[in-house]
Amino acid sequence: MNQWEVFVMDMTELAEGQDIELSIRTLNPGLQKYTYKRVRAQVSSSLDKFADQLQVRLGRGQLSSARYSIKVIEEIQRIPAKYL
Amino acid sequence: MSKINAPKSNREFIDACIKAGDAVRIKQEVDWENEAGAIVRRACELGAPAPFMEKIKDYPGFSYFGAPLSTYRRMAISLGMDPASSLPEIGAEYLKRTNSEPIAPVVIDRKDAPCKENILRGKDVDLCKLPVPLVHDGDGGRYVGTWHAVITKHPVRGDVNWGMYRQMMFDGRTMSGAVFPFSDLGKQLSEYYLPRGEAAPFATAIGLSPLAAMAACAPSPIPEPELVGMLSGQPARLVKCETNDLEVPADAEIIIEGVICPDYKVEEGPFGEYTGYRTSPRDFRVTFRVDCITYRNNATMTISNMGVPQDEGQLLRSFSLGLELEKLLRSQGIPITGVYMHPRSTHHMMIVGVKATYAGIAQQIAQLAFGSKLGPWFHMVMVVDDQTDIYNWDEVYHAFCTRCHPVNGIHVYKNTTGTPLYPYATPHERKYSIGSKVLFDCLWPVDWDKTNDVPTLVSFKNVYPKDIQERVLSNWTNYGYPPVK
Ligand SMILES: Cc1cc2nc3c(=O)[nH]c(=O)nc-3n(C[C@H](O)[C@H](O)[C@H](O)COP(=O)(O)O)c2cc1C
Ligand SMILES: [Mn+2]
Repeated sequence: MNQWEVFVMDMTELAEGQDIELSIRTLNPGLQKYTYKRVRAQVSSSLDKFADQLQVRLGRGQLSSARYSIKVIEEIQRIPAKYL
Repeated sequence: MSKINAPKSNREFIDACIKAGDAVRIKQEVDWENEAGAIVRRACELGAPAPFMEKIKDYPGFSYFGAPLSTYRRMAISLGMDPASSLPEIGAEYLKRTNSEPIAPVVIDRKDAPCKENILRGKDVDLCKLPVPLVHDGDGGRYVGTWHAVITKHPVRGDVNWGMYRQMMFDGRTMSGAVFPFSDLGKQLSEYYLPRGEAAPFATAIGLSPLAAMAACAPSPIPEPELVGMLSGQPARLVKCETNDLEVPADAEIIIEGVICPDYKVEEGPFGEYTGYRTSPRDFRVTFRVDCITYRNNATMTISNMGVPQDEGQLLRSFSLGLELEKLLRSQGIPITGVYMHPRSTHHMMIVGVKATYAGIAQQIAQLAFGSKLGPWFHMVMVVDDQTDIYNWDEVYHAFCTRCHPVNGIHVYKNTTGTPLYPYATPHERKYSIGSKVLFDCLWPVDWDKTNDVPTLVSFKNVYPKDIQERVLSNWTNYGYPPVK
């Protein structure tokens, strides 16, 4: 199980039952903690639907009490190839 | 040669602070996740010595130095002055040095440059190998750059800029930062790189000498490499980067090289800010791609923790903004007595003392101040007369509450440049850096009759004859009062 966190301005950004694109950061312990990935994912407010867990912060860093489970479908490369 | 004996590197500065009792060595292990940030924050709020954290969890060999210039004592030490120097003394020294001849930097051989002791390139480049702290819980990320310089060069004009613009670690090879459109780097980007879609080479230098850091966050028109020379009385020692043509301070602890992407943006923020809030939301901001990291053995990462007063964001920035405005006003021949910003105003209010010899002088001051390069960073100018001690808030506040006419003395300027960080600004204003400004004119109008219209200040110093004042002062303890310090 992985722990993830996402920042949203509005909870409607976390639409359930469809593929959505998110920038999520890992909360797994280790040197990478708090680094981001851009992913296509599904989220659910039922915590046992997906294996990974997602917590949510709002625009100014406030931790939301809402919790989700998340399935990362794939990682997305937004960065133009010339920088890779 | 000059007699200035200022610390030439972050290491010399730490030693000088420890000797003066202005830094403490923390030997027990400190966590990079929140704990280090919380120590720095508390030290700032208490005005305590700077924490030198020698052991960081997960990062053997690295250390942190926090709150480098969040007290006037440490500012005095950074300038090579007596730590007990008063604020006006430190200010006078800053003015003297920054009004002197520019001192050009020298470029040294890379084998003599401590910042090249370790070099990570290619697949080895990973910001997670540096002890990047989570400064405040709830921040948008771990911040690589909180007390540093982002170094760039205008490709045509060649002018070099060192600016302190916060940088967040997005992933091991990517940082994003808040580079405001009115900053020198913001203007380089919007003027040259963005329209051409060209990547801008950059180098971030962390763990600078305190005067190099002071230069990077001073709103001076003098190019920073020369400004460091003037502040320290000797040429800054630079060295060429590994992957681009930029030159970086050779004694810096950590150098991060790469390019600013004109066509790629990732999210940045939120972050604790100098106003004492997290105001600017997460947004897509300037994005830095990292190609190379170099660092000294036993590198020390510097941390400024912005929040409520007082940290470098208020103390140092108030200091340099006020003094740079003083230079500007004097260059225009305005008969000012001085300029002061209280750090507690989070550098939002300029207090200017002036001899009001002609009409409209307060507006002239305000328009110069708001219209200058410094203008976006504050929104209040308060002008008091030459009898009011600008450093004494009690006197300034008394002048404000008694002489500022609610209709004639308050002037509002709309649709100016602002910053996205103003807590009071509307979300729309923040998004587009739209500001508004106010002048509090606390001068007696020059067209009032001095004898009959201007009220008399009723104070011990102002209403009693000299001989009575002297008699009372010399008899004070005889009357039975304890001596006045
Ligand atoms: C700790 C600290 C952090 C700062 N962060 C930023 C920032 O993120 N963005 C910015 O535009 N200015 C920031 N500033 C203010 C700039 O350093 C300051 O405006 C400096 O003069 C910029 O250089 P410039 O005049 O060459 O643009 C910061 C200042 C300090 C002391
Ligand atoms: Mn500059």
